[in-house]
Amino acid sequence: MANDKELFKYLPLTEATCYILLALIEPLHGYGVMQKIEQLSKGTVIVGPGTLYGAFSTLEKDGLIIKVGEEDRRKSYTLTSKGKSILQEHLRRVEILTGNAKLLKGE
Amino acid sequence: MENQTIRKYKLFFAWNDDKEEAWLSKMAREGWHLQSLGFPGSFTFTAGEPREDVYRLDFIINRKDYQQYLQLFRDAGWEHVGEVGGWQYFRTRKQGNQMPEIYTDNASKAQKYARVIMPLIIFLPIFINLATRPVSMESRYYDFYSITKLVMSFIIMLYTYAMVRLLVRINRLKK
Repeated sequence: MANDKELFKYLPLTEATCYILLALIEPLHGYGVMQKIEQLSKGTVIVGPGTLYGAFSTLEKDGLIIKVGEEDRRKSYTLTSKGKSILQEHLRRVEILTGNAKLLKGE
Repeated sequence: MENQTIRKYKLFFAWNDDKEEAWLSKMAREGWHLQSLGFPGSFTFTAGEPREDVYRLDFIINRKDYQQYLQLFRDAGWEHVGEVGGWQYFRTRKQGNQMPEIYTDNASKAQKYARVIMPLIIFLPIFINLATRPVSMESRYYDFYSITKLVMSFIIMLYTYAMVRLLVRINRLKK
């Protein structure tokens, strides 16, 4: 679980990081993550290999994701419990935010 | 028949690597495709059909995951053309109006330039030490030391300039 200090460090997640974590709810390798993000975001978010490679090393170092396998030079990662709790807290806040979208519609 | 090749010499600065990318794309449009890299600033091109290629440069010196790193780029449709001094040269075909990118946000692009600065910072104290070391007038290597000190001072100035330019680039990306 992530404590308050850690939550403060990571939140809010960038759109790319949020999608990377979402894609890693199940184990995937790099290119799988890229395809999954394009599909989940309906093409609104594209993550390039340079960005993804850097994100993988940072997220792994910080213990938000963990390597679960390697096949043909392709490493697979998945979320850790810490990564999951940070993602959950982020999504909780985003839901509150998008709930406020009605203000713009004048409801 | 063997393909015609040409060698070109051109120096680009690390903080202007997008100019280098644009130049490589321009060469490809004229039918000259990057084949290999020699020492920094030396490019070998091979003749072929003109192509709308996109070139992108990355910087990485950590060898630990190098094969995995290259595989990720290959999977994403980037051909690794070569490497010189940590600079990785990638190329892909341009599709439609969308410009393919290896870095899709400014934060990760800023990290690339931060990685370029790192080796500069590591070597700087060595050069400063060599440049400021006191030399005895009686030493029989006095001339040699003096020239070394001069060269080192020049390198330090160049380094400092490069670091400032890279930091400016990073700051602009972070805005």
